[in-house]
This record gives sequence, structure tokens and C-alpha cells, in this order.
Amino acid sequence: MQIAVSGGKGGTGKSTVAINLAIALGEHYDLALADLDVEAPNDHLLLGVELSNEEPVELFMPRFDYSKCTRCRKCAEVCEEHAIITMRDGTPFLMPNLCSGCAACEIVCPVPGAILPGKKLMGHTYLTETPYGFPLVTGKLLEGEERAMPIVSRAKKRAQALGKELLLVDTAAGTSNTVSKALEDSRLIIAVTEPTPLGIHDGELILRLAKLMDIPAMVVVNRSDLGDVGRVREIAERYGAEVIAEIPYSENVIRSYVEGKPIVLSDYPEAGIFREIASRVVEFLGGGE
Amino acid sequence: MQLVIASGKGGVGKSTVTASLLYLLKDEYRFVAVDADADAPNLDLLLGVERWEEERELIGAKVARINTESCIRCGICQERCPYDCIKVIDGDYVVSELTCEGCNVCGLVCPVPGTITLEEVRSGVVRKTTTRYGFPLISAQLDVGRPNSGKLVTEEKEWAKKLMGELGLEHMIVDSAAGIGCQVIASIGGADLTILVAEPTPASLSDVQRAYKVVQHFRQPAYLIINKADLNPGFTALREWAEAEGIPILGEIPYDRAIPRSMSMLKPFVEAFPDSKAADAMREIAEKVREEILR
Repeated sequence: MQIAVSGGKGGTGKSTVAINLAIALGEHYDLALADLDVEAPNDHLLLGVELSNEEPVELFMPRFDYSKCTRCRKCAEVCEEHAIITMRDGTPFLMPNLCSGCAACEIVCPVPGAILPGKKLMGHTYLTETPYGFPLVTGKLLEGEERAMPIVSRAKKRAQALGKELLLVDTAAGTSNTVSKALEDSRLIIAVTEPTPLGIHDGELILRLAKLMDIPAMVVVNRSDLGDVGRVREIAERYGAEVIAEIPYSENVIRSYVEGKPIVLSDYPEAGIFREIASRVVEFLGGGE
Repeated sequence: MQLVIASGKGGVGKSTVTASLLYLLKDEYRFVAVDADADAPNLDLLLGVERWEEERELIGAKVARINTESCIRCGICQERCPYDCIKVIDGDYVVSELTCEGCNVCGLVCPVPGTITLEEVRSGVVRKTTTRYGFPLISAQLDVGRPNSGKLVTEEKEWAKKLMGELGLEHMIVDSAAGIGCQVIASIGGADLTILVAEPTPASLSDVQRAYKVVQHFRQPAYLIINKADLNPGFTALREWAEAEGIPILGEIPYDRAIPRSMSMLKPFVEAFPDSKAADAMREIAEKVREEILR
């Protein structure tokens, strides 16, 4: 089964919640953590580990065999991204940056072998053992590439293939379709938000997405003393979600984050908050082993 | 001039810094501000925008639909979908609208003509207002679950360019999204230079380095602002990186409670708390922006 940590706004502490929750849940489940914030993956930094077991994520990219191409332009016509342009005589050219790797051109090409399967590197996935007893799968988009979806999709598959009892997914910020992709198949979403007007605005969007996807959500309010938690409660209630924890702004959290030492393992009082979140999750999921 | 403010990482204070910078530059320069974080726009909130003067729906996202009447349930579409967006629900093949990228592979491989169609759906809105500070703001909001397309940002920048012509504005100041994906690429592409905002943490360093690679890809100059600069005195790697790369540091803003407090007042912190130490630092940064960038 899968659960996800998400939150509309960037920098609300999603990754902090995800890694501490993973450590705390590790006592109850055989789990894996997947960092699907592929544009800015940070869970490994917070866990203090170096990414390892790199695997490339390559997409199909057409290569034209001009000796076979009949200049029928079908490939260009079918390309939703307008990545293939044709010269006056119909000779196709690819603009690699626009290519989404969908292979539509290859599917419609009437001449076998006129479009050859080239490859384009989009990013990487990693499988890193952590000192906390669970593996971390990370997706990382290559700088200069625009499309996060293939990396999210591949990293998630790699994490699922580990066959763990529980997969904890850490998503990107926002509510775009790459976030939906990460959330898909979750039994529960932990929405991390801040009680500031910005946090509340974006937090509402993630609750709306959870509702659309029909996934139950619980809300964790980070930096809870920097705004109006009552407003967060109101909005959470409107979406049938409960505020299960408040984490006050804390130098200790920042210190542990900077040092790459998860706070849940420390003696700081904040450790208790993360354990409490974990026990609420265990309660919701119905135990573990 | 078109300048972009980017960070790689969310939550480092990019929009906070942008709002205050706009506030400090507003009397001297004529510019349009663009909030290019269509996924989580909030520059309007920080500038106290209460209403939009004009709003345009952006139809452009495409999603596949399967006609269950003519579907012969062969499963080829599900097999070939590059992103696993097709599920079987109660015996019917159904495309998940919230994850579909609109590539149309399913439609092309489907053996029954007309069964899978690609339909245009709304991807969000692009909107415009005049802030209470006098300068116009272009913003956008992506609909939940839509592809996070750079097209929305391109649309915003087009509108901003048009306004520049109509109103005789000299500059476009773009607050980019976090990350390094299509919206960031659409923001940085075509700009003259990028100001990076980062905080002294390993995560922010890692993310800003990635954003800087995108800037380099477009062969643009970059500058750096260090936010929450005193948060982590032992961490010198951010400054060292900037020095090694030859990225000029425009200034350092200390962590200051005035900033989160100003956020709940929906005002730029330089306006809400002009005597705070963060505001002092921000004014110095604005001075450098005047001297070194907008001169």
C-alpha cells in the first residue's frame, strides 16, 4: 500500500515531514520512501546520504532514415508537441527539446524502418540504502529538460518494484499532473501546509486535488505559530480532512535539517510531534507488524 | 529588459524578495511584473491584489477520452500509454484526466477508429491587474491536475510584452516557479538575466545549482541573493559556490520575523516593516539592482 506526503506550496516542510515520518513508520512497517519531487529532490540531503545505484531514464526520440522516408509528413501531422517540422519537400526534422518521447510518429509512419528508435536522456532514478533501515528511491530530472512526468513515473515504478509493505511518497509542490501521478494509488495523503495566507491558499488546492482523486487527507500544519491555524482548520474541515499535528517554527527543526540528522531521532521535543503523526497514520492504516 | 527571479527550491523566499524588490523599484522604473508560478501563484497575495481586471481562460491542455460504446476492450491503449494513465474500472478502459499528458499515443494505437479522441480542456486562467502600487501584474493559475505546461508562462509573457508596448514600460520582472521544469524554462528562456534566491542550506544549494545550470543553458548572466542568511552560520558552501562560479552576490537578507508577519498582512515586508533589519538589507539589494542591472 501507498501513502503520500504533499502540500501545495513549496518550502512548507514536506520533505522534513516525509523523512521523519518514514523513520517513525519504519518501526511499524517494512517500507520504502520515494522522493518524487524530481525537479528539486532533497530527501537524500535531509537523510544525509549520497545518491547511489543510478539508472538513466531515457525516452524514445525519433531518428529519421532519410533513405527510406517518403516525405509523407504524417509524423509531423501527428506530433502533438509540434516537435517535427517539415521542409517544403516534406523532409522531416526533429526539434529535440520539444519531443515528448511519445512515439506517435513511429506509430503512424507507413514505412518500416524510416523512423528509428533514438534515445534521449531525461534524468535518472536512484535507489539508496539509508542508515534508517529503509531504502530511498529518488527521481531527478536533468537540468534543461522540461518534462518531469517520465521521471516521476519511472521513479515510482522503481519504488513499487521493491515490493515493500508500505511505500511513502514525497511529492513536488503544487497540484499539476505530476503531483497527481505521484499521489495516484495512495490510501492517504498527508498535506503539509503553513498557516500563512500563501500556505492556506495552496493548501486548499492540494485538498481539492485529494478530493478529486478520492483519497482521504490529513493536514499537518508546519510553522504553526506564524499564522492562523484556525483558518487552516476551517478549510480542512470543508474538505473533510483533519488537522492532526501542529509543528511550531523551531530552530531545532532547522538545525537538524541543516545537519542532515532527522529530528525524530533526537531528544528535542519536536521528535514527539513526528511520532504522533506516525501513530495517527498507523491507526488510520490499521496497524502493521 | 527582462529579468527573472528564480530559486530552484520552493519556500526560500523568492516571491517575498520579489514583492519587496518591486515595491522598492516602483517609483523609479516602469515595469510589468509577471508571476510565472502558475502552479502556486502567490505574488498577487503578497502585493495585496484583491481583484483581477481581466481574466482569460486558457484552453490548451489535451486529454484523451475513450468511448466505452465502441471500445472493444483489447487493452492496447493501456499497454502503450507511456505514463500508465489508463485504468480498467468496472470492465471499462478509462483515461485518468488528472495524469494524462495528452500525447495521443492511445488514440494512435487504438484499432477502432473514433474510439479514442483527444479533447481540449481548460488548463487554467491567465489574468491581469493593476496593483495598488501602480504597476501591472500578470499572473496565472493552473487548474488542479493539469499538465504543468510552460505554455501558460509563455502566454503570460506574451501578454506582458503587449502591455509593455501599450503602456511604454521598460522592464519585465518575472517571478519564476520553483524547480527546473517547463515553467522555469519558459520563464528563463528569452530573458536577459536571472537573479537567483537561495538560503544557506544543503537542499537550497543543491536546487539553486540546478536552476543555475538552466540559466547557463540560456547563456545568461546570473546574480545571487542569499535569504535567511544568518540561519545557518556554519554553512559557507552557498557563498563559496557563488564565488567559484563568479556569480555576483547582490546581498544577504537576515532571517527576520518581520517577513512572515508581513506575509500575513499581505504586504511586502519593506512596506510593512521598513525599520526591520531585513528591510535594510533589501534596500541595499535594490540599490545594487539599480546600479548594476537596471542602470
